[in-house]
Amino acid sequence: MKFSQNGLYIESYSKCPNCGDLMYENAPEDRAKQVKYDSKTYCSQRCVNWTIDREARRAKQEG
Amino acid sequence: MDFVTMNILDSAMVSICREMGITLMKTSYSTIFNEALDFTCGLADMNGDMIAVADFCPSQIGGMPLLVKSCLKEIPPSEIEEGDIILHNDPYRGGLHTPEHTFFKPIFVEGELMGFAVAIGHIAEVGGMAPGGFCGEATEIFHEGIRIPPVKIVSAGKDNVEVWKLLLANVRTPRVNFGDLKALIAAVDLGEKQMRGIYHKYGKDKIRETVSDLLLYSERRMRAELEAIPDGIYPFYDFVESDGIDADKHYRIQVEVHKRGGSVIVDYHGSSPQAVGPINATLGVATSAAYNAFLHMTDPSIPRNSGCFRPIEVMAPPGSIVNVDFPAPSVGGNTETHPRIVGTILGAMAKVLPNRVMAAEGATHCNFVFGGVDAETREYFACYDLEAVGWGGRAFADGNDAVDSINGNCRITPVEVYETRFPWLIESLAFNVDSCGAGEYRGGVGYTKQMLCLNKEIICSQMTDRHVLAPWGLNGGTEGGCGATLVMKQGRDDWETMREAYGKASTSRYSNVAIKEGDRVRLVTPGGGGYGNPDKRDPDSLARDLREGYISAKAAAELYGYKEV
Repeated sequence: MKFSQNGLYIESYSKCPNCGDLMYENAPEDRAKQVKYDSKTYCSQRCVNWTIDREARRAKQEG
Repeated sequence: MDFVTMNILDSAMVSICREMGITLMKTSYSTIFNEALDFTCGLADMNGDMIAVADFCPSQIGGMPLLVKSCLKEIPPSEIEEGDIILHNDPYRGGLHTPEHTFFKPIFVEGELMGFAVAIGHIAEVGGMAPGGFCGEATEIFHEGIRIPPVKIVSAGKDNVEVWKLLLANVRTPRVNFGDLKALIAAVDLGEKQMRGIYHKYGKDKIRETVSDLLLYSERRMRAELEAIPDGIYPFYDFVESDGIDADKHYRIQVEVHKRGGSVIVDYHGSSPQAVGPINATLGVATSAAYNAFLHMTDPSIPRNSGCFRPIEVMAPPGSIVNVDFPAPSVGGNTETHPRIVGTILGAMAKVLPNRVMAAEGATHCNFVFGGVDAETREYFACYDLEAVGWGGRAFADGNDAVDSINGNCRITPVEVYETRFPWLIESLAFNVDSCGAGEYRGGVGYTKQMLCLNKEIICSQMTDRHVLAPWGLNGGTEGGCGATLVMKQGRDDWETMREAYGKASTSRYSNVAIKEGDRVRLVTPGGGGYGNPDKRDPDSLARDLREGYISAKAAAELYGYKEV
């Protein structure tokens, strides 16, 4: 059993910071593609790339 | 690909889903099911992909694949037995909001799991802080009623009595809830039985192959539709007004639709952080809203299944108004924020698909909920009441008048049923004159429902929108009219907002107001925005609007330059 950081919730997943998808602790297919980037766990390399591209694009738009 | 068998099988499965829905409608206790039809019935394969669905509630249709897939990660197929029925409503695990209860039953054929019959229904009373499940002032999930992770409510054909006891001990109307939950179970029982018949007729291999082809066919048709749209990045934003806690703060829905070839990605990054109050959407809602928007802009004859969703992806940042994190509340996300997200995506695509989008609609279900002890029966009653709004004008037609918002497809409870079931007298129900945004094609009109309280006391709550931010027009069309909720206390002759009458922070989101016998409540629903330059409106159409009372002569003069002859 896993509890959330504030101890209030029994949970078995985390969320990808880019797409928001649920990554289940006990699902091998979810674990297989996970990538650590900037001290966060993403569901896939594609989401890491998307995050980098978005930040670059928005930085360019802002000036 | 055997197109003949594929079409026959698709039609047969959709018919089964419709039959499931009719069973649910006819066996349920609550008006939200047997009158409003706030449910969806579908079929899934063993991976959780939706293979057929009936045309009921779109928010649940789009939410179904994520719901079933999430549950299967917690209760894997290896732990599912013949005769089991799994129940789930957890907003944080693929769910939509606490009232939305999902039931699914495995379909076993010759001992092999082939798929699931699925029914999702909005249970009218779920416990929590306010009767009727929509607490407009909730600040945490615990205010929003009982939360159910995936559990077996029926195990191998036998009711799991412990689960039933837990469920029914946490709601105000256990007798009615029991009937509604059993109706949902009846729906999945029927779906499972009918699908087993289909399997026996065609055989497992043929159905596996044909269903795979069917999903591929839907995917190809959706990709063909998307390929016809110019590639590009299409941004747009809109706002949800207030969260019931801070009445003056609006919450941004930001979308960037990335269209490339036969696929789209809807990126919500830039949307507001999650709100304190209950307007947050879950991941399931954000996903479903993106599907809903693209189903509205593409060929309606594409079979509705997970295949047509494959080309559509979402990027919904956690902890935001479009992907709520525990323990923030979310009950309004599925009803109010969902249509606002759809409208934002339609707004983004308006430049390249002007003939397939509409101006902003009313985008609220009104969500007037109430409960109390009936003076005659002494039984607790609770109701989730939804009302209709005006839809946005389109490039080829006026907006729909008084229709449930874009994610509901629900019916309005008839006055006679309403008065029979609940201690209100409906004094009037009439279109709101001038609530339609002006345009070459005007927006649809909303309406006003005026009710007199006949009970000693009715506890009322509401989660609605568009009291402040009007539905926008498109391509020169003007805004539609805002909604309102007003109360006239017995012995007075003036109408007040809920803020004025009860000191609530928001006029549109509040909870637990005690309406007394003789008090009146007036629900005013918003209209839709207009489409195109009002100067181009067909004079005959304008004359008809005047004749039918959709618009006043004064507004016609101001907005269209109408002169009475």
